[in-house]
Amino acid sequence: MQMMNVEVEKTVFVLEQVRHLTESTYVLRFSRNEMQFLPGQHLALGLPGAKELREYSIYSGVHDDFLEVLIKEVDDGIVSRQLKNISKGDEILVRGPRGFFLTPAAVSKPGKLLFISSGTGLAPFHSFVRSYPDSDYSIVHGGRNISEAYDLEDYKKELFTICTSRGDKGDFPGRLTDFLLQNELDPKARVYLCGNSNMIYDAMDILHAKGLPQKQVFTEVYF
Amino acid sequence: MKTVSFKTLGCRLNQYETDALLTQFHQAGYQVVDYSSPADITVINTCTVTNQSDQKSRNTISNAARKNKNGLVVVTGCMANNHKEQLESNEQVTYVVDNERKSQIVPLIDAHFKGEMIHPDSFSRDVFGFETVDQSLHTRTAIKVQDGCDNFCTYCIVPSVRGRAVSRPIGQILENVRSVIDNGFKEIVITGVNIGRYDHDGLRLEAAIEKILELPGDFRVRISSLEPDGFGPEFHRLFQHPKMTPHMHLCIQSGSDPILLKMRRMYTVKSFMNIIEKFRSEIPDFNFTTDVIVGFPGETEADFQLSLDLVKEAQFSHVHTFRYSRRKGTRADRMDDQLEEKIKNQRSERVRKQAEENRLSYMQSMLGKRQRVLVERVDGKGMARGYGEHYLPVNFLTERRDRNWFTELTLDGIEPGESPTMKASVI
Ligand SMILES: Cc1cc2nc3c(=O)[nH]c(=O)nc-3n(C[C@H](O)[C@H](O)[C@H](O)COP(=O)(O)OP(=O)(O)OC[C@H]3O[C@@H](n4cnc5c(N)ncnc54)[C@H](O)[C@@H]3O)c2cc1C
Repeated sequence: MQMMNVEVEKTVFVLEQVRHLTESTYVLRFSRNEMQFLPGQHLALGLPGAKELREYSIYSGVHDDFLEVLIKEVDDGIVSRQLKNISKGDEILVRGPRGFFLTPAAVSKPGKLLFISSGTGLAPFHSFVRSYPDSDYSIVHGGRNISEAYDLEDYKKELFTICTSRGDKGDFPGRLTDFLLQNELDPKARVYLCGNSNMIYDAMDILHAKGLPQKQVFTEVYF
Repeated sequence: MKTVSFKTLGCRLNQYETDALLTQFHQAGYQVVDYSSPADITVINTCTVTNQSDQKSRNTISNAARKNKNGLVVVTGCMANNHKEQLESNEQVTYVVDNERKSQIVPLIDAHFKGEMIHPDSFSRDVFGFETVDQSLHTRTAIKVQDGCDNFCTYCIVPSVRGRAVSRPIGQILENVRSVIDNGFKEIVITGVNIGRYDHDGLRLEAAIEKILELPGDFRVRISSLEPDGFGPEFHRLFQHPKMTPHMHLCIQSGSDPILLKMRRMYTVKSFMNIIEKFRSEIPDFNFTTDVIVGFPGETEADFQLSLDLVKEAQFSHVHTFRYSRRKGTRADRMDDQLEEKIKNQRSERVRKQAEENRLSYMQSMLGKRQRVLVERVDGKGMARGYGEHYLPVNFLTERRDRNWFTELTLDGIEPGESPTMKASVI
């Protein structure tokens, strides 16, 4: 297996579009500059000249001729707030791609894949589904309410379960972990978890209790 | 003849790179002198992994400058990458050479003495451009197979100072191994920043090591530090090869899964223990050593106790304990719940005590066993010292006064002390 880590020389990219999905969450689209990547990899982004860079999973697919990231503005955060204020035509500093998160899913023979995410942890799975829409995946995504099921139309409806802890419009009213506890799990599935570490820890506990071997579980921790 | 001295701080990779530089200077006609002697050039290969290492590096630079008032002070290593501007404005420092150009220090100094002041950044980057180390230095040498790391553990500054993971072409590695063996080395240590990420044109670490093991010659192979997610399920099979030594430094960092996740370590305690058990089911006395970080942000007493329990359960014979040190630019530096130094010190002491107990009990379990010891030095009274294949230090009496030979011994005692040593007799 070889990584397709072609890091582009050019590190200043031009912003092509900002899409606001909710009050706090937005998608930045910028030029691709021939960057090659695998779904699950992330970029380090920041404003040109700024010292602070942060990692963001690539949201767009490998066949898209642009790059996108999905960002949630964090209260008191630095970069997630800076990036929210840039507009079309502005420059953005990009390093990467980096990381290995979905590499086993992307390069090996497809089998059943279960993607579990919270918040913007959905981003790498969006990239994967856009890249390989016919793969054997299903997604369990947790958020406070349905508005956190970002770009829902990009997924096959029957393969996407949104668990809403504070709203009742989702597929499952309650926490993602409750959904996992109450539902059967394919013991052969390879499971990818992405988001905050507390959710990942709780979910891993449930997966192990249900007998899923550790070697089938992969994680990407955001914070 | 110009004189040059060296000081190395930090990791095994730095030590190797200093040895290679030393060899390069020697071959270029410089006289290598001990660090305590005055020298025309002092090369300081720094480390920046913790605040403490920064402090040590700074002290070393000042001492070297004071000691060699008219000499050149060349600062390289990870601190040169992490604090480049600060070092460049330090009047005590003549040249600041980053890791990527470390192998170019000799041409830089040659040019200097020819009256050309070249900025180190004008040399090309080559992280594998080092000479084969001279055998007069050690009996064991590192083979650098990889540099850089893309793991981005939340506490670690290394990715930003060593750069992205790069793998050395296998042809170059094999040529390097052949040349060190021809040079008389009997033990090679596979080294890099994160060797588990070795991947050259699809060839991974296991396959690269297999190719090294196929080379002819009376030598053995040791793995330096390895990350638990850095190898496949068949890796243990390599250790069936007679040239492989049954020792691995496998970094656990914490015995608590929530803390491992906050560190962005991509394994669990259970999967780590599975590796240990797998290896020991085949080689029961396999020697594991490790790194543990104590006092990571948010580490509770219960989390720490899990680390301590794990150190005991896994029976690491040596634990390199790091008190968590905040590094600017890392994710953990921005985390809440930073712990007081006092707690870190206490926890570090508790790990140290457990590790000491482990070491003694491991040594006791080795009594009566045979070891193939590589002799590193013999004193005037015929007391030889070397390491067995399990990487335990061994002392024994011999008639010979030379070094760099293998001998079969039976371990028959333990010399107590701050760093206990095995005693042995010739079979
Ligand atoms: C590999 C990787 C990939 C990532 N991908 C994404 C991504 O695709 N989209 C994205 O929005 N973020 C992502 N993050 C998180 C992102 O890098 C930043 O941490 C985040 O945007 C906050 O940065 P900041 O400078 O605004 O705040 P900081 O000052 O860095 O952080 C303030 C605090 O905010 C919290 N926080 C961090 N990230 C989030 C988040 N996403 N949601 C809620 N709270 C958070 C943490 O507790 C943190 O201590 C990723 C992180 C990693 C390690």
